[in-house]
Amino acid sequence: MNQPESQSAPAAPGGLMDKFAPVAAMRAGIEATGIDPTGVVIEHMLSTTEAIVEGRPTILAGTNNYLGMTFNPACIAAGQQAMAEFGTGTTGSRMANGTFAGHTDLEAALAEFFGLPYAMVFSTGYAANLGTLAALLNPGDAVLLDGDAHASLYDGCRMSGAQIFRFKHNDPESLDKRLTRLGEQAKRALIVVEGLYSVLGDLAPLREFAEIKRKHGAWLLVDEAHSLGAYGQHGRGLYEELAIEADTDFVVGTFSKSLGAMGGFCVSPHPELKLFRYTSRPFIFTASPSPATVATVREALNQIQTRPELKHNLWRNAQHLHGGLGALGLTLGAPPSPVVAVRCTDRDQAFARWRKLLETGVYCNLMAPPASPDGSSLLRLSVSAAHTPEQIDRVIAAFAAL
Amino acid sequence: MSQPEIENRLLALLSDFLDAPADLALDTDFVSGLGLESVQVMEFVMEVEEAFDLAIDLDSLSTVRTLSDLAQVVAKAQGGQP
Repeated sequence: MNQPESQSAPAAPGGLMDKFAPVAAMRAGIEATGIDPTGVVIEHMLSTTEAIVEGRPTILAGTNNYLGMTFNPACIAAGQQAMAEFGTGTTGSRMANGTFAGHTDLEAALAEFFGLPYAMVFSTGYAANLGTLAALLNPGDAVLLDGDAHASLYDGCRMSGAQIFRFKHNDPESLDKRLTRLGEQAKRALIVVEGLYSVLGDLAPLREFAEIKRKHGAWLLVDEAHSLGAYGQHGRGLYEELAIEADTDFVVGTFSKSLGAMGGFCVSPHPELKLFRYTSRPFIFTASPSPATVATVREALNQIQTRPELKHNLWRNAQHLHGGLGALGLTLGAPPSPVVAVRCTDRDQAFARWRKLLETGVYCNLMAPPASPDGSSLLRLSVSAAHTPEQIDRVIAAFAAL
Repeated sequence: MSQPEIENRLLALLSDFLDAPADLALDTDFVSGLGLESVQVMEFVMEVEEAFDLAIDLDSLSTVRTLSDLAQVVAKAQGGQP
């Protein structure tokens, strides 16, 4: 049910609420089109990849559920058991009463999964990036941030007080030049990049970045939020696929995509990660993830390790969708990956196409400036291992009918 | 490089950066005057960094609204680190 509008008197001009005037204008503009991509409600889940939206069965082709883990029976059973045994929530910080056996078990399981000695669990993916960067960086340090890096990485850098230098997206030369200009400070500089970029589905040139890191004696953090489970022999992410494990100082990621739950993590070969828990405010000043959440994540890690067909099906579907949309003559954002972006000519076309797709039973994400990279308007799809080939065909057919 | 030289170079760079011709002045606001999104302003700053071969940290840009403001940041970065 919609919330009733407030009946209070309008705020006087020149006051605290003035800043919302442009936001209200933006919202009015969206409402005037009759298309609100931010207001979609999942009314009922029919399966991992299909839901009722606006009363219609709808294929979910934009939910980042890469391995289809949200309805995995083993994960659900693990979550149910943990909830029954440990309750609905921890009601506390990891520093106080919020560390249960499930949290330490999950940290041990993550360390084993990544083949690294140290792991730390955070309450959300956003908190993982905020908490890792804010603990790792101080004023006086420098951070080299990819121009298209996720807001959580940017916010973490801001929170740390370090000097932030952005380099051109996926551009090793741009990174190299900035590190060169830093001189001796480069040894206190952290390079922050992602593996698979979430909007266009393009991959970072991690080997080149690793080489530059070595050249300058800098440090490297890779966010594998969208590449976990999809890349690398063990599913650790693109840094594993491109064999730069020895150059990667920190890997961060989220449980809310391929692992189908909620939360985030940082893993590292550096023992100092164990000390982050004493200094990382986003880790300390929040409640820990629920027992059910950490139990489902632990089981999801087990599923990735024991069921290689999940990654196989994900890539089968990614190739299928990318090939089908490409054959329609659509301009796609990048080579095949679990994220497929369809470029539109402008914002109006993107809004209209997004709406038409939803009416024909396909949900995807609408990306428009300023939320999209390179100022483009596009439709973003994410593939799941749980999509059937028939569902992928229906998505392609819906695009063909536009 | 003198302040006027920096300003002239920035005017030329911004003119190249914009898709359409615009009436550019040193006090034109990037957002309200030219309609640029914040992301586009950041892209332009990266072009400026390349052109001047320097690195500008984001904190230095917090009060930059115009080319004139940016020229001061560039001058400072050229004089100091990094």
